[in-house]
Amino acid sequence: MGKLWRKLLFLIRRSQFDRDLEDEICTHLEMKAGAGGGTVDARYAARRKFGNTMLLREQSREMWGWAWLETLAQDLRYTFRMLRRSPGFTAVAVLTLALGIGANTAVFSVVDTVLLRPLPYPDSERLVQMWSTKANTNRWGIWTAYPRFLDWRRLATRFEDMAAVRFWVINLSGGDHPEALHVVVTSSRLFQVLRVQPLLGRTFLPEEDQPGHDHVIILSHGLWQRRFGSDPTVIGRAVDIDQQSYTVIGVMPPGFRFPPDLTASWSIDAWLPPAPDPSRNERESNNYYVVARLKPGITVAQAQAEMDAIHHGLAERHWEDRDLGVKVAGWQQQVGSEVRPALMILLGAISLVLLIACANVANLLLARGAVRQREAALRQALGAGRARLIRQLLTESVLLATFGGTAGLLLAYQGLRLFIQLAPDIPRLNETAIDPRVLLFSAVLTLGTGLIFGVVPAWQGSKMDLQNALKESGSRLTGSSDRARVRSSLVIAEMALALMLLAGACLLLRSFLNVEQIDPGFNAKNLLTAFVMLSPAKYPDPRSQAAFFREVIDRIASIPGVECAGGADSAPMLTNDAGTVSIEGHEARPGEQVIQAERPKITPDYFRAMGMRLVRGRTFTWADNESSLPVAMINEAAAREYWPNADAMGRRVKLEDGSAPVWRQVIGIVGDVRQDGLVEAARPEVYAPLLQSPVPYLALAVRTRVEPAALTGAIRHGVMAIDKDQPVLQIQTMQQVVSDSVAGRRFQMALMALFASLALALAAIGIYGLMSYSVSQRTHEIGIRMALGAKREEVLLLVVGQGLLLAAGGVALGIGGALILTRFLASLLFGVGPNDPVTFAGVSLLAVSVAAVGSLIPAWRAARIDPMEALRYE
Amino acid sequence: MGTRDVRRTEIPPGTLDMLILKTLSRGPMHGYGIAEHIHQMSEDVLEVEEGSLYPALQRLLIQGWVSAEWGQSANNRRARFYRLTKAGRKQLDHELSEFQRVIRAIGRVIQTA
Repeated sequence: MGKLWRKLLFLIRRSQFDRDLEDEICTHLEMKAGAGGGTVDARYAARRKFGNTMLLREQSREMWGWAWLETLAQDLRYTFRMLRRSPGFTAVAVLTLALGIGANTAVFSVVDTVLLRPLPYPDSERLVQMWSTKANTNRWGIWTAYPRFLDWRRLATRFEDMAAVRFWVINLSGGDHPEALHVVVTSSRLFQVLRVQPLLGRTFLPEEDQPGHDHVIILSHGLWQRRFGSDPTVIGRAVDIDQQSYTVIGVMPPGFRFPPDLTASWSIDAWLPPAPDPSRNERESNNYYVVARLKPGITVAQAQAEMDAIHHGLAERHWEDRDLGVKVAGWQQQVGSEVRPALMILLGAISLVLLIACANVANLLLARGAVRQREAALRQALGAGRARLIRQLLTESVLLATFGGTAGLLLAYQGLRLFIQLAPDIPRLNETAIDPRVLLFSAVLTLGTGLIFGVVPAWQGSKMDLQNALKESGSRLTGSSDRARVRSSLVIAEMALALMLLAGACLLLRSFLNVEQIDPGFNAKNLLTAFVMLSPAKYPDPRSQAAFFREVIDRIASIPGVECAGGADSAPMLTNDAGTVSIEGHEARPGEQVIQAERPKITPDYFRAMGMRLVRGRTFTWADNESSLPVAMINEAAAREYWPNADAMGRRVKLEDGSAPVWRQVIGIVGDVRQDGLVEAARPEVYAPLLQSPVPYLALAVRTRVEPAALTGAIRHGVMAIDKDQPVLQIQTMQQVVSDSVAGRRFQMALMALFASLALALAAIGIYGLMSYSVSQRTHEIGIRMALGAKREEVLLLVVGQGLLLAAGGVALGIGGALILTRFLASLLFGVGPNDPVTFAGVSLLAVSVAAVGSLIPAWRAARIDPMEALRYE
Repeated sequence: MGTRDVRRTEIPPGTLDMLILKTLSRGPMHGYGIAEHIHQMSEDVLEVEEGSLYPALQRLLIQGWVSAEWGQSANNRRARFYRLTKAGRKQLDHELSEFQRVIRAIGRVIQTA
């Protein structure tokens, strides 16, 4: 270790060392001369015998082992000077690299956060999600029912802790205005599962799961700041939730986020215990999702095995479980799983853009290399080895890349902010930042980029062709054909990559346009939606709930500008209310699959407001109330599925939802709507009148004659005029809802289009650069041609033709690559196949046209060459 | 290039360090003195090239086997004196025993000729 220390000291005291050595040599010489007699002759003799002092000095210095550092410093200084002398080149190269590296860093940052980074809880790799799966279709998504969760919790042994959560909205009154809060309703052990401590107070106790002890609430940090002024004495205070008194028992810390994939658009304000409703069959309401922590040493597979066994036992005793399965999966993988394919595709695309950028910069370097070949030859003649030259040229590339990378980081930072603002709901997106992992990635990428685009020019630039290079007439260098081949290959490769990206982007664009054309089944224009959630304390019985909503609808329908208004307890593309139905004549026997359908409860004018088609029969009226004949309506999908060969009118169905299901008669059939999104097919729906099956929450559907957004305030006032404490939530236009449902698809298409345009622009610049260079090289030859009678147009065609040839080569290669790669897009496409010939033909044409334009300017210049000048040109 | 001095013999590779260390074991000395000492003690057989002496001294400095400081020479000239360190002494012993082991082995091979 002392050795290292001494070496470092040498580094600092270098000049002192040189002086010392100088003195030592002097003294040595004097002593030697003195020994020889002290005469001038003796001195000269001594000097001669001493040998080469320069060499001695160098060797002495080299002993200390820092020679590599000195050469590196030398190279860097040299490179700096070279770059400063050609600012245009440097600017273009750095900009190109900044774009490529910056964009890659930004995309990687998102990928890292959403897909790679562990969840923000301790030991998060042992956290899993559990849910009930539908035996055939898995359409349930990730939910299960609370009573089933209780059984799971009771019977499972391989988990440390389990918790079930669902999302809800409550009304907080008091203060100057009521506020609707987004809350998480959770069983008592959630915070133990997550291993998170509260900032103030405590978390739930096990007994607070039960009615009678469950009026406690935990606040989020945001709510505590906003509504309670960060008051530390808030613990123990009573607050008014849905007209009932709840006690605040805790406040969560500021960084706490649950669930982790919640986007910034709305955040959780509080946590509440569940309030089981004994009147409903809650085992059918699959609206909870379960997170659990595995015991140490237990794998997901083992947990899955145990849950399968438990599920088997439960399914025998409960008919609701019969048709379901159970799945256990790692939570972190689950969170990003939906967006993973799209993100990986984006990452792949932007990597291709970076490759194109590298090719462009390599081309630039090659062009410069041709000019500097004489200098290189000179250095080789003076004794520099090829390795030394290559090292110097690579230093140049890496330095350029470093400038580009640094500028790129700034771009990435800004780009990320923009991305987060514009992006649709991507899980964990708001956690994204440029953190050390991303910086490391950026540094490695920068280094790699520098080496990638530098290796070919370095190889070319260090070729030992001394004789030719040093000759006076060395401008037409014999190495140039070699060099030209390399440059052409690079341009062809660029074109190919750009074409692949264009093909992908075009396919996505067509898919998106196809999706936008789909008819959702309702008229989204001039349609507003809003949610009203009644507090069960204020409106405890179904009659008061129904009466309230009737009054609300009547009042809203009378607002000027409103054509009609209706409501349902679910809204397409926003919420749903699915459950079991029974068909008369097809009752499910034990062991058979139960029939699932959407079962919205609607008001009479609902279909008119939504703009849905009535196919047969009639819609509900206010006369269909609790004392009249139980009726139902179905949609075409239900008619097709349940009575494929018969008339559904007059048939009877039963909605199995708890209290006292009755047989209802089908009195009308309406058209299908796409409940789950534009792409997914419509599912069967069985509608019941709100008066015959009241619920405490309603999604309003308001058809307007004027611009819908203008009536937002009027609607809110209409509701508050009836009950001043009743907030109205999420007022938005259905057009916005439909647009949001495809926001992810749109965003991805836009990004791919952006990347593809970037790629095409870079490739065009590459062709332009190569053609310009080629023209300048061939000036002499063109002059001869023109002198021999070639017309300007012929010269133009000559150059453009050369450019087109390169483009054609690139396009052919690109099509081949695209045919292979676009299959990765298949899952994202709609209505167009991955190898769609029309698309491929279109983008090929586009690419070739752009290449033609890129060649046009140099061609134009070539056509204007004055033969006399050209012939004199050397 | 002129007549080569007949007495000039190359120092066997790897032994220069040992010779320098041995020289310094007799007391601190400057570069010229070390070269002269080796030349004289070997009865003019071994002549140390300055081109190898100084780099070797650097090597010894890096390893920490010698230390250097400026002082006054016999003729009142300012010269850099090298001195053997404790580690250097240990290294010298080690190299001496190694060298003698090799010499004995070579001797055995030659004797049976």
